[in-house]
Amino acid sequence: MTKIELTVNGTRHAREVEDRTLLVDLLRDHLGLTGTHVGCDTSQCGCCTVHLDGRAVKSCTMLAAQADGASIVTIEGMAKGDKLHPVQQAFTDCHALQCGFCTPGMIMATAALLKDNPNPTDEEIYHGLEGNLCRCTGYINIVKAVKQAAQTMK
Amino acid sequence: MSEKHAANRREDLRLITGRGRYSSDNNLPGQLHASFLRCDCAHAEIVAIDTAPALKRPGVVAVFTGEDAIAAGYKNFPNLMTFTNKAGAGILQPERPVLAHGRVRFVGETVAMVVAESAAIAQDAVADIRVEYRDLPTVVDAEDALKPAAPLLHTSVPGNLTLEWDTGDAAAVAQAFKQAAHVTKLKVVSPRVVPSPMEPRAALISYEAASGCYDVYTNSQGIGMLRWQISALTGVPEDKLRLHLHDVGGSFGQRSAVYPEHGALMIASKKLGRPIKWVATRSECFLSDSHGRGIVMGGELALDRDGKFLAARYDFVVDMGAYLTTTGPASHVRNPAICTTGVYKIPALYANFRVALTNTAPIAAYRGAGRPDIAYVIERLVDQAACELKIDRAELRRRNFIPLDAFPYKTPTLGTYEASDFNGCLTKALKAADWDGFPQRREAARKRGKLRGIGLSTVIEGTAAGFQPKDQIAIEFDADGRLEVFTVALSQGQGHETTFAQIVADTLGIAAESVTLRQSVHGKNIVGNHTGGSRSLVGAGSVCKIAAQKLIEQARPLAAEALELEPSQVDYANGAYRSRDGAKSIDLLELAKQHAGASPHPLNLIAEASVAATFPNGCHIAEVEIDPETGVSEIAAYTACDDCGTVINHAIVEGQMHGGVAMGAGQVFGEQTVYDKSSGQLLSGSFSDYAMPRAGWVRDIHMNDHPLISKVNVLGAKGVGESGCTASLSTLVTAALDAVRPLGIEHLDMPLTASRMWQMIQQAQQPQQAKAK
Ligand code: FES
Ligand code: FES
Repeated sequence: MTKIELTVNGTRHAREVEDRTLLVDLLRDHLGLTGTHVGCDTSQCGCCTVHLDGRAVKSCTMLAAQADGASIVTIEGMAKGDKLHPVQQAFTDCHALQCGFCTPGMIMATAALLKDNPNPTDEEIYHGLEGNLCRCTGYINIVKAVKQAAQTMK
Repeated sequence: MSEKHAANRREDLRLITGRGRYSSDNNLPGQLHASFLRCDCAHAEIVAIDTAPALKRPGVVAVFTGEDAIAAGYKNFPNLMTFTNKAGAGILQPERPVLAHGRVRFVGETVAMVVAESAAIAQDAVADIRVEYRDLPTVVDAEDALKPAAPLLHTSVPGNLTLEWDTGDAAAVAQAFKQAAHVTKLKVVSPRVVPSPMEPRAALISYEAASGCYDVYTNSQGIGMLRWQISALTGVPEDKLRLHLHDVGGSFGQRSAVYPEHGALMIASKKLGRPIKWVATRSECFLSDSHGRGIVMGGELALDRDGKFLAARYDFVVDMGAYLTTTGPASHVRNPAICTTGVYKIPALYANFRVALTNTAPIAAYRGAGRPDIAYVIERLVDQAACELKIDRAELRRRNFIPLDAFPYKTPTLGTYEASDFNGCLTKALKAADWDGFPQRREAARKRGKLRGIGLSTVIEGTAAGFQPKDQIAIEFDADGRLEVFTVALSQGQGHETTFAQIVADTLGIAAESVTLRQSVHGKNIVGNHTGGSRSLVGAGSVCKIAAQKLIEQARPLAAEALELEPSQVDYANGAYRSRDGAKSIDLLELAKQHAGASPHPLNLIAEASVAATFPNGCHIAEVEIDPETGVSEIAAYTACDDCGTVINHAIVEGQMHGGVAMGAGQVFGEQTVYDKSSGQLLSGSFSDYAMPRAGWVRDIHMNDHPLISKVNVLGAKGVGESGCTASLSTLVTAALDAVRPLGIEHLDMPLTASRMWQMIQQAQQPQQAKAK
């Protein structure tokens, strides 16, 4: 067992977890933040994407213990009260989600992408979302949403 | 798109803020966790299973095997297939114990289930189980499986042939072929795909001894269909099955069937008296989710001197995997049989279907479910005939379209088509795609070193047939008098909460926000179809409108009473009843509130209708560019002109089309399910080996519509969920073929992976290069 302390969506948590506990399991099972999803076991789908100290990470790919001391933001922490994050707003405006299972990961990946590159080209968006799979939308509206979010965040 | 019907869906807010509730988000106090041991060989006898080492591991509560499945009697899966062979015999349905007993028949079959205090312990303990297998010969290819010397999977299914069924007039077809001026023949494959909705399968099942009821939390396409299947499999009466279905992370047919894991978890929960939870890993999904497609199709088309179609003949070999799923055979035989004539007048038709078993994962419905496959073989045939006869592809189609005045058109096999304007669709699409300007674009691509081709398809599909004779909708008013609409249908991304609420609200003339949709709710005594086969809008959606109309009439006497008038003296418009002179009025919702608390609420109602199948159709045109140096294909342009009848919500229809075309593009360019021929091992068992479509594969779709309103339902809708898949396979493949035809390549089979294309281009170029030297 390992003792860890971390901040998630602004709240400090101290937990004792098994050494092998993944960050995503800590979020989902220990903290009840089920907005972060698990879509694969090979780090390829991006459904589990969260922000760790401001960077997008796949939370299925790291141990909870590795997040000791870190500040994490999950999809539940993106809106400020009733005010949606511009990326969330863009996803609903552009019909960039259907079943919504990939969506939290897509939104987190997009927010990080736009932080690094506030004005991405289509190619840069395709590249930036390479690690996120969506089976429903064909990505066309997701790309639109990324662009709309880029505009509103300017 | 009107403002009122803008994108923002009712369901979006919870899904974009992480408040969706998917299967694996469910937990119950005291729950245990299950993990399955799946066999690692494709065909073998189980000689011995030693579960003792697993049971010794701390935290393990129990291990279940095939013995438990047999003891429970959970081995007979239901099947929707009603067709019989020539001798009148039904499909041969092999037994499938929910945990394998005596024999395993595909890699990934459930052999044992460990139940433990945590998921991690259960997974560890699975590795402790020792199984001794005696290997048997393996067959993974459906055509091979039907050969006389093929390994036999089930003694109850001689020759691995579960059903041979045919339709049409063989003699008339033979006669027509004799008289034909030209015959085009080909054989194409619609390769097996793994549906891979992003949410893995999961279930949480809890048995309640006092009532004998099971609470089932799982992902599904709708309550009635799954409840019926679980009951058929387990013998537990439907009224003892309480299904709790919430958000579903995509389905595409993959969640149409009951799974062995449902039965196994029920056995465990009953025995242990605790809720049991299981969440599949993606690796398990690849191995054991129902797969899709997997059809080898022979096609022959007979034409006269003028390029008129005289007859067509099809020979389908349908791979069903090692066992039959509930929806697999019906999807792969009934659905294609309805549209064997495509959009063309073909006087004589014959199709033969052989439904085979192989040592692979069972196959079920997958978006389109047989419709894209039949459309694919027809369109490939027509294209090839055009090429052989040197007739323009659009022109050959025009010569053979079923004309507008021929509807309703009874096809020589199973379908009766609703009116469609195939020529109108084609003409619009050709213009929108600038078909005539293509030679310049091809030339420009050539200068860039790329091979560019254009492809065209005109397709039709029979949708909304459903498996239930009718669809019912309940309208109820809650304790506060708020309007709730209940459906059996369950969205897996289609946006029912938005669309169906919109239909009810528009019919009543009230704001959409005042209508709340509740889908697949346990305890609602309504019947109807699950969401599949592009059915829900046409079926349940239509009944939403009928229910709203019924509500207006049902509330009229109460409104009249409130207004102190005769019912005949009040008119309804825009959400309110008014006296003729307009002096008095009462809002419907206000009226409902006044009666809130009455039990039952006097405005509660159930509406129903039997809604017939309908026929969306369209013309898609694509341009594909191939880099001969790498073999990589790119979709350079995609234009669609569809007739999906009345559009209720444009954003959702476009989204369905995007998703459908992208799935088609996945099957055409990337997705490849590979079983090793000799070992039966699945070689494409993860997202690193299985190429899912990614952002950028389909960059844009230029959408047009050319609707003829359906006459068979009150909405006039034709269904759109599968159209993108149905049209895109042939459109994209023929575009790629058009790109490489100048090199002398005359046939392509999906998937057009870069390596396959590169090899073909290399081979084709060698003799040319030799000649050049
Ligand atoms: S669950 Fe983390 S990448 Fe798929
Ligand atoms: S919206 Fe369903 S997987 Fe992306």
